[in-house]
Amino acid sequence: MLVRTPEAMLRRPRAGVVRAYGGTLLQRLALIGLALAAWQIGALHAPSFVLPSPARVWTAWTGLVATPSFAADLSITLGRVAAGFALAALVGLPLGLALGGSRALGGFFEPVLTVMNTVSSAIWAIFALIWFGLSNWTTIFVVFMTAMPLILTNVWQGTQTVSAEHLELARTFRMPRRKVLTKIYLPTILPAFFSGARLAIGFGARVVLVAESLGASSGIGYRLRQAADLVQTDQVFAWTLTLVALMIGLETLVLKPAERRLFAWKKASPA
Amino acid sequence: MNAVEIDHVGKWFGQREGAPLHVLEDIALTVPQRAVVAIVGASGCGKSTLLNIIAGLIEPDAGGVRLFGTAAREFRDWRAMTYMFQEDRLLPWRTAAQNVAFGLEAGSMPAAERRRRVDETLELVGLSRFRDAYPHELSGGMRSRVALARSLVTEPSLLLLDEPFSKLDPTIRAQMHAELLRIAALRAMTLIFVTHDVEEAVVLADRIVVLQPHPGRVRLVQEVGLDRPRDPLSEAVTEQVRRLRLALSEEPAPC
Repeated sequence: MLVRTPEAMLRRPRAGVVRAYGGTLLQRLALIGLALAAWQIGALHAPSFVLPSPARVWTAWTGLVATPSFAADLSITLGRVAAGFALAALVGLPLGLALGGSRALGGFFEPVLTVMNTVSSAIWAIFALIWFGLSNWTTIFVVFMTAMPLILTNVWQGTQTVSAEHLELARTFRMPRRKVLTKIYLPTILPAFFSGARLAIGFGARVVLVAESLGASSGIGYRLRQAADLVQTDQVFAWTLTLVALMIGLETLVLKPAERRLFAWKKASPA
Repeated sequence: MNAVEIDHVGKWFGQREGAPLHVLEDIALTVPQRAVVAIVGASGCGKSTLLNIIAGLIEPDAGGVRLFGTAAREFRDWRAMTYMFQEDRLLPWRTAAQNVAFGLEAGSMPAAERRRRVDETLELVGLSRFRDAYPHELSGGMRSRVALARSLVTEPSLLLLDEPFSKLDPTIRAQMHAELLRIAALRAMTLIFVTHDVEEAVVLADRIVVLQPHPGRVRLVQEVGLDRPRDPLSEAVTEQVRRLRLALSEEPAPC
């Protein structure tokens, strides 16, 4: 017997999708409202150096944005993250490819990765301070040491997904090894590289503050420590909000669209 | 000059335990230029190994192979030979046209020339309209055509096929057979293909080589003198198929 789908069920998906989007937006707004309310109530019962009120933080933030050093500190910190990340990608990607491409190399160097992943960013910061002193390189080094293993690990794991069938195909065309790397390995690991890079940027943006508060005389981390030393809690909040907004912006305006463009070839998953 | 001469080739595969497995024994075979030769046998009888030896992907332990009169060891013109697999093996991140271009990318060629050849080959297999489609957007038959175009774009004189189109449904498979024969005649190509399907062999080949297992060796070589195009349902074809099936079933032990 043929079963006919009831009409009500045929229409539901579209309406459901719209409702889901609207629902998500409402939920987000409700969450923000709830957090602000809790913050306001908490601020009423605590001295402002412990928990400044939302209004006070807003005033501090508008004041902060107006200062000439704001843009400078922001760009210095972002520049350090970018430099550390770029170096990490530049080293992590080819190294991951090489280690994944050769079983012997991979097996030999595997423990190094474990060591690098277990050492805390704070320890790298202290080492960097000893080696580079109060310079840009201290923070760049810390970002690099945090981001590089993440990218390397992801790329390495990505090479495990390279299809033996595709490699055999390249072999029948007598494709030279260098071209096999760029034409088969590289496109295969790109999704893995991308997720590694996303992690690396997130971690890099966090550890850069640790490094700057320990060993720099400029940048957001330095300003945060300064504000903490002077018990300017509203300033700390203002910087924190700036960073959160920045990371959300990066995710929705740069990473998501880039990912959508790069992986347009992927089979659309059924919604 | 013969396209391929196989001279008393033998092959053993090392096993984790026990003596090496004897895969091929004393295979002798010649394939004239422009011939269509089928290698038939039950699965696991060394058919694919033999094809890989012809392709130069596996070294024989005994005997040797000559390609277009040159010993395989000295043979350099590997791009005159392409290999088609059972699966289409398209790169999912490339469009149909880019997948076809892959065949040319091992060597170096001016971009304009490459583009011209890709367009021409897509036209040849009737896929011009789908040049910008990704593999997941194509049907099984179309994907097979892309794979065929990728094998043809280097303008090979020898095409090796390992159970080609065996994953396609029968109608599309018959279409691909006709297409393959048309292009082989047009481009003056030599075809060597491996199959376990006797009917496919009779429809396509001028000569059928039946292998028998343990170790793999030539049981019989059968010339197929039927006119083309061959209808798989015609009496002549079915009779030929029946006789070959009989010969195959006389094997002492299935492998």
